[in-house]
Amino acid sequence: MRKSDPSLTQANAARGKGRPRIVETAGPSLADILNLVRTGRATTRQEIERTSQFSRAVVADRLGTLTELGLVDESESGIATGGRAPRLVRFVAERGRILVATLDQTALGVGIADLSGRLLFEHHEAADLTAPAATVCDRLVTLFRWIVDRHAAGVQLWGISLSVPGVVPGPVPGIADTHFLDHTPPILPSWEGSGFVETLTQRFNVPVWMRSSVETMTMGELFAGAGAGLQTMLFIKVGMRIGAGLVIDGRLYRGAQGATGLIGALPVQGANRTGTLDAMAGSEMIAQEGRAAAMSGSSPVLADIQRRGGEVNAIEVAQAAQMGDAAAIEILSQSGRLIGQVVATLANTLNPQIIVLSGSIAQTNDILLAAVREAVYGASHPSVTRDLRILRSQLGASAGLAGAAMVATEAIFAQLFLRDWVMQGTPVAHPAFVQLVAKINTMPAPTPLPLQPPAI
Amino acid sequence: MSISGLGPHGERAAPPERVALLPQDIAAVHGLRVALVMHTLQSDWARQCLSGMVGTFGDCGMAVIDVVDCGFDAQVQIAALDRLILEAPDAIIALPVGNAVVAQAHARVAAAGIKLVLLDNVPTGLLPGKDYAALVSTDNFGLGKIAAEALADHLPQGAEVGLLGYDADFFATNEREIAFWQCLQLIRPDVTVYQARFATIAQAGAAACDLAARHPELAGMFVVWDTPAIAAETALKAAGWTLPMVTVDLGREAAISLAGAGAIVAIAAQQPFRQGVAVAQTTILALLDRSPPAWVALPGIAVTADNVVESFQTVWRMPAPREVLLCRKLVR
Repeated sequence: MRKSDPSLTQANAARGKGRPRIVETAGPSLADILNLVRTGRATTRQEIERTSQFSRAVVADRLGTLTELGLVDESESGIATGGRAPRLVRFVAERGRILVATLDQTALGVGIADLSGRLLFEHHEAADLTAPAATVCDRLVTLFRWIVDRHAAGVQLWGISLSVPGVVPGPVPGIADTHFLDHTPPILPSWEGSGFVETLTQRFNVPVWMRSSVETMTMGELFAGAGAGLQTMLFIKVGMRIGAGLVIDGRLYRGAQGATGLIGALPVQGANRTGTLDAMAGSEMIAQEGRAAAMSGSSPVLADIQRRGGEVNAIEVAQAAQMGDAAAIEILSQSGRLIGQVVATLANTLNPQIIVLSGSIAQTNDILLAAVREAVYGASHPSVTRDLRILRSQLGASAGLAGAAMVATEAIFAQLFLRDWVMQGTPVAHPAFVQLVAKINTMPAPTPLPLQPPAI
Repeated sequence: MSISGLGPHGERAAPPERVALLPQDIAAVHGLRVALVMHTLQSDWARQCLSGMVGTFGDCGMAVIDVVDCGFDAQVQIAALDRLILEAPDAIIALPVGNAVVAQAHARVAAAGIKLVLLDNVPTGLLPGKDYAALVSTDNFGLGKIAAEALADHLPQGAEVGLLGYDADFFATNEREIAFWQCLQLIRPDVTVYQARFATIAQAGAAACDLAARHPELAGMFVVWDTPAIAAETALKAAGWTLPMVTVDLGREAAISLAGAGAIVAIAAQQPFRQGVAVAQTTILALLDRSPPAWVALPGIAVTADNVVESFQTVWRMPAPREVLLCRKLVR
């Protein structure tokens, strides 16, 4: 990698004398060229010139600047096609790190990714999200500090991206949807006025982004899972709540309020009652039916778990179904059929290339997937199902972390946002973020952490 | 005992009973070939796990065609996997010795159509069902909790504690480390934890002494597994330090120390033989395309001097060493 060299900077400045290399106007072309390289649409100077339609001089000048900022590297050669081998232009994904976390009702996942969104480390542990927001935040901070110590020593943090179990309000008029948070949205009742986002911003001095768990998992599946390279995908998360993520034209569709895909609220009809899809097919229902089957003795596996003092939850029912327990299979099949009916409606509307089923219940057994497949294939137009694949996610909870990383990188490198920080070389120097930090610093100091990571 | 941790991708643990074999499963895999690529064969844990695997495959009529000792060396493991891919066994069981550095070599196994089942560690980026069939490990988060709860009883108010971790990106030791300091600080908020890391077992003793020298008030230490714990105990003793220690794995030397001869006051034990059996059964289900769970986890066992003899028998399926029996006054 070419290192920033004062004499080089001076030479560039002298070279630029009289030419249209003005700091204020370089931002847009720098952003354009950086994104061409970052997304792999151009890998040599010639390709950048051809794709961007900037002149050779402008491309050379901007690449010089991006190299000095440590954002691109031209030290490797490509394959010669007749003359001298071209220099490859590579985005330096190692330039910064993104801290990511998934906050679920019963689990907490944390990780760290490079600027390409690739996860470098992840860890998941059980957690209770109904605990006070300050407790959850402290736990997150201590885990993040441990990760930074082990996986980001000497590398700058560029952002934090959170996946949360609720709708994250969508675009505000006049502000890009990719803009970082400047306050804590009331995702959970206890988060109101808790300063969750402000604390993370202050402690790590980086912007914070946030999306719903369905949105981040959809993003993760789109970039790192079964949806990689596809344009249209339907992602279904089955848990206590059942939600859908929509990918249209290769991008996550967020709707007007960020509330896309709340299919769990739809009414469905079961064998002898009517209710919302959440209530009729979600993990609460599965657990409840499982406990009833254990009590009545119709499920020997679940009855055995209960007899030994174990708790019959939805995961136990799903595992019992996979082990061949007839009552558990029926519970999962019923849930799958109801979910499948709703998903079939969406499939007929969206005509996806792929439907990905996720959530721990879907991933613990094959029964739910089979029932959803049966319902969707049975209730969809032949044109919709001709090449349709219905799969189970292989990413698991990693989808949320991988997707959260992509939310942050897409936001950091969004054209309008990038133009305002690229000359400084880091999004932490973005004028709006500098203002936010100054504002947060005038607020009362957060209380000390009850948990501290080990000191060196 | 319940499982307190989550899998490498946040999976809920499946119990080893979930991978029990039926007679028709056993009949269907007769004659298949499997290779084992271990991080080391020099530890009690590795030998006992190997014993569980080889015995189970023998019971099922499968041939173990190779057992590789990688000596904790990533390059040795990469070369072994690439060589075994050419041998084309039906399945490979591997314990990845690192993270990113060995990820691609493991991914090549599944890409070559060979079933890959992992022990204890999943390199970041590899996915269950695609790059590997399943992970079989102990509940390492639970092991860290057991160690913290045990050490807490031996610490005075306001104590300083050393955490000697492994300087490699390794799922099992990361989980133990995180669980230990989180749990200790939840149950003993008065305690301060200081950490150091060793890159090789040979460095563990020096790292422990260095940590103790930097923090002379240390009142206890957790070492992430038994072999470096014994190295640390020996080095600390030679340097004149005596402090209660907790660790993971009930190796022979650690059991003797725990029984009363040394500084170890508690051990969070794995069940390597049972884990070996579980990973063999999981591999057989994968070979039969029976979708094994992504993470099969075995609970840890809390061992103190009081139950060291019977725990040793449970873990190793053999009598406790005579030194242990002497310390416990069970023989004269």
